[in-house]
Amino acid sequence: METDWSKVFEVFGSGIVGVFLVMFLLQVLTQFSTRVIDVVENLGNGKGSAPGADTPAPATKD
Amino acid sequence: MPELLAPIAGNVWKILVAVGDKVELDDELIILEALKMETPIYSDDSGTVSEIRVKEGDSVQDGDVLVIID
Amino acid sequence: MFDILKDLIYSSGAVSLTGGNLVMWLVSFVLLYLAIKKQYEPLLLLPIAFGILVVNLPLTFLMEPEHGLIWFFYHYGIEQDIIPPLIFLGLGAMIDFGPLIANPKTLLLGAGAQAGLYVTFFAAVLFGFDLQEAASIAIIGGADGPTTIYLTSKLAPHLLGATAVSAYAYMALVPIIQPPMMKLLTTDHERKIVMSKLRPVSKLQRICFPIITAMTIMLVVPPAAPLISMLMLGNLFKESGVVERLSKAASNELMNIVTIFLGLSVGATMTAGTFLSPKVLFIFFLGLFAFVVSTAAGLIMAKIMNLFLKDKINPLIGAAGVSAVPMAARCVHKVGSEANRRNYLLMHAMGPNVAGVIGTVVAAAILLKNLG
Repeated sequence: METDWSKVFEVFGSGIVGVFLVMFLLQVLTQFSTRVIDVVENLGNGKGSAPGADTPAPATKD
Repeated sequence: MPELLAPIAGNVWKILVAVGDKVELDDELIILEALKMETPIYSDDSGTVSEIRVKEGDSVQDGDVLVIID
Repeated sequence: MFDILKDLIYSSGAVSLTGGNLVMWLVSFVLLYLAIKKQYEPLLLLPIAFGILVVNLPLTFLMEPEHGLIWFFYHYGIEQDIIPPLIFLGLGAMIDFGPLIANPKTLLLGAGAQAGLYVTFFAAVLFGFDLQEAASIAIIGGADGPTTIYLTSKLAPHLLGATAVSAYAYMALVPIIQPPMMKLLTTDHERKIVMSKLRPVSKLQRICFPIITAMTIMLVVPPAAPLISMLMLGNLFKESGVVERLSKAASNELMNIVTIFLGLSVGATMTAGTFLSPKVLFIFFLGLFAFVVSTAAGLIMAKIMNLFLKDKINPLIGAAGVSAVPMAARCVHKVGSEANRRNYLLMHAMGPNVAGVIGTVVAAAILLKNLG
């Protein structure tokens, strides 16, 4: 049974890149929505009481 | 009066000291159970235990006061 | 009279027994011993062990397509993909995504650990497995029973027994597998890093998270839909606070019922024919390899992230990206407290731990997209 190496590399590469991209996207969306909700929830109490924002996301792999 | 705070949420499993005991820095004072795991909590100070604010079986949150040391 | 006796003997399964069957009985007895006496993951191991036993008793036709009792469980539960998503429903109702929402960077740690899966995929291909089989073996490193079963039943159903048993066995062995890797790849100084308290997460944030996650992942990676939709729905049950009955049913009754069928069906795929082959030994070896490499990948990812962060994370939590919840998080906490008594990493480790569950589903979905 011949191994289709090009397919192997395709799966390997697209897999790793794919997982990172999706998780990074999710991270960004979570941070964004969390920040928005923080602001919205604190409009009632005055902005000063918002909990500290996350440190910015690190530059990730391409 | 230094307070020993719970570093994580959990249940108080065992209290290893009594009021009046002398404790040193890093002594094991309380064991919490979190996610089915025993988590010993160590003293931040040396001194005498003046108050124990929880009893075995209590549920505590992150930041709750457990013990007060003089 | 003699004829009746003869008839009984010939129609009994006993005469059709093969040596292989006897070996599988032994396997079954060992697993039953581990489950009952040693209490080693009994909820799964007991039904699995029994499934192995009954399917290796010939002529019962329990697994006969269209006829066998257990075949029906297997066909409708696993082949038709009902059981793994239902387990995820229950899992979601029990999972706390709080530590993840508080520190969304940990999603990258969940991703990092999955890189180990692809390394294992590569290794499995080198071992001679075809691509579908290799993917099913690789997913063992995701440390997630339902996802492993889901993917394997779609790509390489003949390997289901071996991959499922590997996944559950190594998940239980996490406290033994992970620490050596953790100590190897981190410095003493790194292990001592104390992480600052997690920021509080509001109820609204906890409710939005499953919704956003479900939508994002289903839009970007549709094959993940059955698993991720159920996981997030279960979580929404829990976090909304308004459907306690549903949430309780999902995490208790439903989980328990589904686990019964899952164990029995998985065990029943392990006939002497499918299980007793050298491939299975390779699978057990590669499964271990997968766990080790995923742990390493998570740790390395954490170290890389630390290069860019002001507020350093303790790289040990990277190991919790291997989504054996909460075994890996507990393991990280233990190793962390050995380095520094004042370090209470449990909650911090839960972030990557639950992120890893999402990560494994995404990885499985991408594998399915490429190979399904």
